[in-house]
Amino acid sequence: MVLPALLTILLIALFPLVWTFWESLHLHDLRMPWLGRPFVGLTNYLDAARDPRFLGALGHTLFFAVTSVTLELVIGLWLALALNRAFRGRGLVRAAVLVPWAIPTVVSALLWRFMFEGQTGIVNSLLVQAGVLREPIVWFIQASTAWVPIILADVWKTTPFVALLLLAGLQNIDGSLYEAARIDGASAWRQFRYVTLPLLKPAILVALIFRTLDAFRVFDLVYALTGGGPGTSTEPIALYTFNALLQNLQFGYGSALSVIVFLITFGLAMVYVRFLGADLTGSRR
Amino acid sequence: MHLLVLALLLSSCAGQTDRGPIVVTFPGSSLGTEAQILNQQLARFNALHPTIRVVRRDTPDAADQRHQLYVQWLNAGASDPDILQLDAIWTPEFAAAGWILPLDQFQPDTGAFFPATIQANRWQDSLFALPWFVDVGMLYWRTDLIPAPPETLRELVRYARRAREQHRLRYGLVWQGARYEGLITNFVEYLGAYGGEILERGRVVVNSEAGRLALTEMRNEIYRDNIVPSAVLTWHEEESRFAFQNGEAAFMRNWPYAVGLMRDSSQSKVAGRFSVAAMPAGPGGRPTAALGGAQLAVNRRTESPAAAWAVIDYLTQPEQMRERARVVGQFPSRATLYEGDGLRAELGLPPATVRRVIEHAVPRPVTPVYNQISEILQIHLHRALTRQTTPAAALAAAQAEMQRLLNRVGLGTGAPTAHR
Repeated sequence: MVLPALLTILLIALFPLVWTFWESLHLHDLRMPWLGRPFVGLTNYLDAARDPRFLGALGHTLFFAVTSVTLELVIGLWLALALNRAFRGRGLVRAAVLVPWAIPTVVSALLWRFMFEGQTGIVNSLLVQAGVLREPIVWFIQASTAWVPIILADVWKTTPFVALLLLAGLQNIDGSLYEAARIDGASAWRQFRYVTLPLLKPAILVALIFRTLDAFRVFDLVYALTGGGPGTSTEPIALYTFNALLQNLQFGYGSALSVIVFLITFGLAMVYVRFLGADLTGSRR
Repeated sequence: MHLLVLALLLSSCAGQTDRGPIVVTFPGSSLGTEAQILNQQLARFNALHPTIRVVRRDTPDAADQRHQLYVQWLNAGASDPDILQLDAIWTPEFAAAGWILPLDQFQPDTGAFFPATIQANRWQDSLFALPWFVDVGMLYWRTDLIPAPPETLRELVRYARRAREQHRLRYGLVWQGARYEGLITNFVEYLGAYGGEILERGRVVVNSEAGRLALTEMRNEIYRDNIVPSAVLTWHEEESRFAFQNGEAAFMRNWPYAVGLMRDSSQSKVAGRFSVAAMPAGPGGRPTAALGGAQLAVNRRTESPAAAWAVIDYLTQPEQMRERARVVGQFPSRATLYEGDGLRAELGLPPATVRRVIEHAVPRPVTPVYNQISEILQIHLHRALTRQTTPAAALAAAQAEMQRLLNRVGLGTGAPTAHR
């Protein structure tokens, strides 16, 4: 009875992976059928290693992942601590916090784009009124400013998710520990540092693994916000891969890029799981 | 020529008369007036040709999506759709891939069409598609603010600056500078104005004095002359049209589709107050209009090439073109239609003016790898225009990358700068 299930999993999970890998060993460009589909070994991977656009995309992805996940964790933790207190209407607030998470990414990306776009966008007029900017700026034509809406949109959208994960972790902490700490005269900071943080570590790690893996595969947000521009200076690997594979129909090279993206995220997941697993078995009791 | 078609038809359907009409499929838009006019014309064709029945296949309106769909179908060897509606830049790609039939066997009267539109559809001495309608990049100008259209790029800058100051306009000139195909068409016009080219047979020549002058001019219009807003670097056609039709700009570079929309005074503030001209020339070049538009081709796998050709022949007849001009504002690709005042009512512009612009039309590089070349150039142009690099460095990098691509796929003639 296990066999059919196993076969299904193999077929669904493994087959596309193996096929993509096989494809990545060929020169296969749908738009140049006269080149045929010759086996080229690892050429596509070597090309990727020397492709400045791909290396750039790798750097952008790393930058995006580190910046956005850091912000999300810090703000998410703060939000979780606030929501963990007992106050009137707590249920309502907890539900309301999730609204950004519930909005489809493309929709929220477009919302952010409207806010930042043009010289009359709301962000420009607010910043000019507040005296932060002397005149409106075009956010999307400079790499440094084009990142701002991308990271803001991601933080806005996924912080609630992080907060919720951490809130679940907070509620698992035994209240008597805080009582004991208070009796021993521990300040709020020391309670946080020596009770909350260590016991919250598993939840933090879970949030971290989810968010980093998501951030590494970021696609729709950038696609809708900047399209990877100006030039290619905000282009993440997923967008470049999409471009090679589905826009340019370079099946061989695009598959090689997909395999690289897969290996990176898989490697990250392995690191986290090992880390997380050790923590779960080691720190309990 | 009609006789020939008829003869071909008769021979191809001789054995099929008892099995009902030959079905031919035609991919087209399913939306708006575009779909309406197409349906009408196809229905008329069906009524005239009892042995053939044309059926419309719904295809996406967005060019990229349509292209992707075609490539997947044709790679799989599909014989449906029998007829393909191609963008101006796809013909060489589809011809080189062996996906479409040479049309010379049907003896189309190519002499009646604008030469550039025929040139864009030739690959290795054969004609592979027939131009259905023409798109050209034009300079829209405000007749109430400017006495006459500029003859040179320098005049354009001067007029734009003066109009901006005197009439408190927000912008002098607007064009399309986002990183997409439209940027290439804008660049092609500035490049032609300085006498440059992107590709010369198998050799990339964009990194030339003319190329640097053209790209520098575009950059200067934004950052030095202050006539073009830096926001154009995120703009497509519609953003420019909104700015121009709201009366915010003295000049606009855009395609013909905007004419009809801006003549509608219920949404346009410039109805009756604008005209068009060719984009002006700079020193060493000539006025240049990027060529776009739709072409009709026959799927090589079709089972009824003669019937497919009969449809194309019908759709590209003067009456059908004139009707399209009237209903959807598309410019006919037959030069002869612009003689006299016949088209004035349909176009909403003097036919002679439109004809002059179309005569300046230049195809974008005619190569099977146009899309790939364009993508490389888009990125480097956009980097230069957003001041991430200099025009000279951007063009040098673009040229090297484009030449490398051509050589790799066996289309280059080996420029000395290209190594792999």
